[in-house]
Amino acid sequence: MQTSQVRITVNGCVIDTEPTRSILEAMIDAGETLIDGVGCMGQGVCGSCRVLVRRQGESEVLSALACETRACEGLQVAFLDHLPMHRHHVYAMDDWNGDSWRILERINATFPEAQHCRHCGGCDSACPKHLEVHKGVMLAAAGDLSAADCFDECIMCDLCTIACPELISPNHLGLYVRRLSTAIGFRPADLVLRLHQIERGEMVIDQDVASTQP
Amino acid sequence: MTGIDHRLALERLLASDHAAPNPIDDVEALLKAHHPDYREGSLVSLAVGANRGSECPTALAARLQSNARIEDADLAGAPVVDTEVLIIGGGGAGCAAALTAAEAGGRVILATKLRIGDSNTVMAEGGIQAAVGEDDSIQRHFEDTLRAGHGCADRRLVACLASSAPDSIRWLIDRGMRFDLAEGGAIGGKLLRKKPGGATRARILSFKDYTGLEMMRVLREAVELDERIRLWNRCPLVELLSDEAGHCVGAVLYDLALHSFVLVRASRVILATGGVGRLHLNDFPTSNHYGATADGLVLAYRIGAALRELDSFQYHPTGVAWPSFRLGGLISEAARSAGAHLLNGLGERFVDELAARDVVSAAILRECAEGRGIEREGMVGVFLDIPELERRQPGTLAQRLVSLGHLARQCGIDPSREPMMVRPTLHYQNGGVVIDENGTTSVPGLYCTGELSGGIHGRNRMMGNALQEIITFGRRAGLHAARSASRHPAPKVGLFHLHGWRRQLVAAGMPLDRFGPDLFPSYANFDFGHELALRGGKRTMYAPRARGVE
Ligand SMILES: Cc1cc2nc3c(=O)[nH]c(=O)nc-3n(C[C@H](O)[C@H](O)[C@H](O)COP(=O)(O)OP(=O)(O)OC[C@H]3O[C@@H](n4cnc5c(N)ncnc54)[C@H](O)[C@@H]3O)c2cc1C
Ligand code: SF4
Ligand code: SF4
Ligand code: FES
Repeated sequence: MQTSQVRITVNGCVIDTEPTRSILEAMIDAGETLIDGVGCMGQGVCGSCRVLVRRQGESEVLSALACETRACEGLQVAFLDHLPMHRHHVYAMDDWNGDSWRILERINATFPEAQHCRHCGGCDSACPKHLEVHKGVMLAAAGDLSAADCFDECIMCDLCTIACPELISPNHLGLYVRRLSTAIGFRPADLVLRLHQIERGEMVIDQDVASTQP
Repeated sequence: MTGIDHRLALERLLASDHAAPNPIDDVEALLKAHHPDYREGSLVSLAVGANRGSECPTALAARLQSNARIEDADLAGAPVVDTEVLIIGGGGAGCAAALTAAEAGGRVILATKLRIGDSNTVMAEGGIQAAVGEDDSIQRHFEDTLRAGHGCADRRLVACLASSAPDSIRWLIDRGMRFDLAEGGAIGGKLLRKKPGGATRARILSFKDYTGLEMMRVLREAVELDERIRLWNRCPLVELLSDEAGHCVGAVLYDLALHSFVLVRASRVILATGGVGRLHLNDFPTSNHYGATADGLVLAYRIGAALRELDSFQYHPTGVAWPSFRLGGLISEAARSAGAHLLNGLGERFVDELAARDVVSAAILRECAEGRGIEREGMVGVFLDIPELERRQPGTLAQRLVSLGHLARQCGIDPSREPMMVRPTLHYQNGGVVIDENGTTSVPGLYCTGELSGGIHGRNRMMGNALQEIITFGRRAGLHAARSASRHPAPKVGLFHLHGWRRQLVAAGMPLDRFGPDLFPSYANFDFGHELALRGGKRTMYAPRARGVE
């Protein structure tokens, strides 16, 4: 855009930009090709734009979302590559069926590494949404299904998975608990009744109604 | 565009008496002068294809009447992969189709342009409609939807949507999606229901104010863990394959990681590529995700599918106008319905905030065009005054405007102290490809589902019906495709439809050097022609061009 005020480095390229621009915008302005590591472009919900950033004068490298992070003088940015598609925690939706008293056994069998959490807090500091990731892992590993709530706002950016030295995949563990507890234990009465009415033909649509006025 | 300096405007806002706005004498004139749909020259008539003669926004028409970038020769030597069902697009509609097709025993490939889940689906906040309330019925859902769409939706599709909606919610719960409860616990409780604008009953189900995120992360995980589905990320569709009869028999994908074409021969192709926001029709910012460039629409049209309500788009009045990294981001109508005022840079209200959406949008655009907007860091908009609302009705922000709070904080604003800057944003494509209840189109072998299809919303979509549409019709298309697919690929696949298409373009005097689909927004600095010349398909007829497919 207009005057360049700050200089940042993205994947080794020096870019002059303004402090009002996000990292993604700065790349676009600079004429860089942006066809990867982008999705919602600012809302911060798709988890595609994962970066490591280091601010000038600081030694710490932090993880962040490029669409939400604004440029500042001396900012160093490196995009994180795609995770390999191989997933070592594989399960089917009927994992808990059968004996639901044995849920903890199933959690341990499906995510065995969760027992070895080092409590290092790596996941918590990696999370761009500041979720209580470690707490969620602890709860799940103890068979407490309220672990699910810790991941309410998780965008599945996988930054905690990258950060975890024990290969626990905290976000996938969280989602596993969320999905399975919902699938076996969420049965709102009004929905149950409505499905029943429709199935029995007690509720049908007359497409020829003359009036579509309220 | 310039406006009144932000700091000055803030001072005037504090001094403002918030007097009621003057009534608009001539709504028609306002719309004509400032609304994008009515603006002189914003629509043109299509000269080729199944909808020849229909009106359509100029920028979209240019894409719909574009030429294919590839030739038979480009495909020689490309690897060929066979499948029964090929699904294009990794949003909610594509995932629902893929999961259902796989469950029905079909061999499935899901190919997507970015990464699975990078979509409009993940961005949806408000919720999803389904008539589950005691006071509600599927008949009401049907009638409300028809009425909201100004009576021009396809009744069969709307009936299908309304009657399948409760079952689609069950399907989502079975895959692990949660919904908020109004009362009681997970077993035996009642679902929380909100009332969409224009409905007669509360019918929107939601998970907090990130329903789309909850839906998408569940569907993405389900697809990624389903070993029956082959998932190809970063493989955009660039052309459909046809046989001599003009049937759709597969697709040409471009693998962005390997820089090469892949030919997929498929008995059934399901397009679920979503919307068009990133074409920035009429130069509007958009609430849509980065991949919303109408690719599926362009290719379906080129192979012969008919479209409908092509000139009908939703411009939402309150998109973010500052800061630029959230430009176009959606601020839901909840703020205005709760009583928030819109003010210009003079500290004046200028429109009844609860007037029809198109009127509010036009009025905001008028203020900006006539220099009464507010300028901050080069961006121009008007104020949405949340602080004043909070003073008038303390607690509104915390109770009714939670997602606005999130958004404001993202923008570095304390919403209880500082007003948001807003201007209209391009939000949704109401029309699209003509389909039947199973998602089939006028082209044998080709299905369309989700935002790119048309007929369900008529000329105006009710909130919550888009998320319902993608699940209901995504599932139906997936099931029908898997059941009707043949195990054997068509004997002769090629680009047969392109011969006729190019003849039409020439006959209509259309340029042959405008290529489509775009694949990425113009500012992505991606030049497909250049990419191909440099590293992709070994040969290309066309010289590299300096910039995008613009
Ligand atoms: C900010 C926002 C808020 C919304 N809120 C609501 C709401 O509260 N309720 C509601 O009902 N609706 C809402 N909507 C609308 C709704 O989210 C969308 O209409 C719906 O999710 C579209 O789903 P889809 O699967 O058809 O498309 P998308 O979810 O957009 O998915 C399309 C997919 O196709 C891929 N694709 C595109 N082109 C190609 C190509 N050439 N090759 C391969 N893949 C391609 C994309 O990358 C993407 O993965 C909202 C939309 C937005 C943008
Ligand atoms: S919990 Fe993990 S995957 Fe979820 S938002 Fe935080 S870092 Fe990302
Ligand atoms: S990063 Fe891994 S090991 Fe460390 S606290 Fe988090 S889950 Fe435990
Ligand atoms: S682009 Fe979606 S989170 Fe950044």
